[in-house]
Amino acid sequence: MAAPIIELKDLAKTFSVHGRTLTVFENLSCRIEAGSFVSIVGPSGCGKSTLLKLMCGLDSPSAGTVLFQNRPVGGPARGMICVFQHYTRSILPWRDVMGNVAFGLNAAKKSLPPRQARDKCLQYIRLVGLEGYERYHPYQLSGGMQQRVCIARALICEPAVLLMDEPFSAVDAMTRAVLQELILKIRTTVPVTILFVTHDVDEAVFLSSRVIALGPAPASIRDDVAIDLPQPRDQIATREDGRFIATRQRLFASIFLQEKREQARAAPPQA
Amino acid sequence: MIRRWPGFLLFVFILLAWECASAFNWVDQVSIPRVSAIAQAWAASVQDGRLLAALGSTLGRIICGFAVAALVAVPLGLAMGSFALVYRLIEPLTEFVRPIPAAAYIPVAILFLGIGDEMKVFVVALACLFPILLNTYGGVRGVDPVLIDTGRTFGVPRLQALRQIVLPAALPSILTGMRISLGIALIVAVVAEMIAGNSGIGYYILDMQRSFRIPDMFAGIFTLGLVGFIINFAFLKIEQHFLRWRGTSVET
Ligand SMILES: Nc1ncnc2c1ncn2[C@@H]1O[C@H](COP(=O)(O)OP(=O)(O)OP(=O)(O)O)[C@@H](O)[C@H]1O
Ligand SMILES: [Mg+2]
Repeated sequence: MAAPIIELKDLAKTFSVHGRTLTVFENLSCRIEAGSFVSIVGPSGCGKSTLLKLMCGLDSPSAGTVLFQNRPVGGPARGMICVFQHYTRSILPWRDVMGNVAFGLNAAKKSLPPRQARDKCLQYIRLVGLEGYERYHPYQLSGGMQQRVCIARALICEPAVLLMDEPFSAVDAMTRAVLQELILKIRTTVPVTILFVTHDVDEAVFLSSRVIALGPAPASIRDDVAIDLPQPRDQIATREDGRFIATRQRLFASIFLQEKREQARAAPPQA
Repeated sequence: MIRRWPGFLLFVFILLAWECASAFNWVDQVSIPRVSAIAQAWAASVQDGRLLAALGSTLGRIICGFAVAALVAVPLGLAMGSFALVYRLIEPLTEFVRPIPAAAYIPVAILFLGIGDEMKVFVVALACLFPILLNTYGGVRGVDPVLIDTGRTFGVPRLQALRQIVLPAALPSILTGMRISLGIALIVAVVAEMIAGNSGIGYYILDMQRSFRIPDMFAGIFTLGLVGFIINFAFLKIEQHFLRWRGTSVET
């Protein structure tokens, strides 16, 4: 077993809302291996975004620790970059595509001579398929293109871990398929560990090497499945594979069925 | 441009009505002279340079006062929006000082600074300060938290994030604050010139009224209207230039 790049130890997060304590999750532990593509699925509001924010240090846990490369995370961690669901709110609208990608490069503190910096930006713009759009501003781009800019901007930092919070949930189904292909293609060229939050079980199974399923709040790990579908994944063949179908059914069951059973127990049918 | 025609026509119509009312003595011709007489007086005073000199000194005061205010208010507003301590320190003071009309400071300012340019620039700067300060603060508070988190996940240090993220994101409301304050600056400068001193367009208007050169007085007032319009228009163009990235025209 490869060394874990991220390790969660008895992680808990509570918020106090109107004087009451809201427990999002507690006693959450798991290890993420370097180089894996791990999806986190779960129903809306179960704490997926919160968990992602804790992992990359944008928020701090109420209890427990996050270890990144064996060191505790105590703030926004170098080497981890988060890609947000709302790309329109995360992209810098006053910078063009080139400028946005350069923002990532500058942030990575890699002081390159201007020529090389430019070439590097172009290389990543090409990687996400936006060549020719360098001088476009975000308002001139479609949603899917804006999210590509955000992905290029994150990848140019060469992070060890890329955290993506429902990155494709705000684009249409067609663009989503294209972006899924893109992320799989990038995975074959860039060695990066990906933590991918989604509430789309199919998407999780299709993309990942491992899927962690969270139940409704207060969330706990309901299931943890290794996906051994053949690479490269294919939108048609993979989704028709018997193992794909079996895995997604198993995940659905572990997320929702338990809930149904509990509800049934709480309110027994009137005879 | 075509959309401006109705407004332009109304304007011409009012001037014509005014001309007739005065020419046919429907109104007192001495206190409301004919538009043509005002135009003649305007042309004459532009030619002998008196009006332009007056205008020049007023504009100079506005620009200086505005510049001082912007240099103080933008950094202060950024600090208030970014650091809770600065906000808690400054906010009570601004809330107390802000409602006082800037013109009310003129008597005090005369005591300390005399009746010259310093006093007028000071009063203009004070009047410009609050619209810029409050709009900058509001703009900073309104920056999308996702944008702030973006800066953080990329590890951008706080001061650098202020310049690279907060300032550009707050720019639309900072510019709005500046445009509002320019309008106020013109008002306050003219009032200050009317109260004290012997230069500027405010003084010019008052002086013409006192010496019963009523057409010249109106020429001064019309000039103010024109200058206000031009300043606003020019600033809108500047705003549009800086906010091209929004892809929409600036709302007026
Ligand atoms: N800043 C906050 N203050 C108080 N409660 C919060 C805060 N952030 C999140 N929560 C609560 O934590 C819970 C989990 O929220 P979170 O955004 O992590 O859910 P999620 O799984 O990402 O949902 P979705 O799939 O809809 O994005 C919710 O009940 C939410 O109300
Ligand atoms: Mg979420």
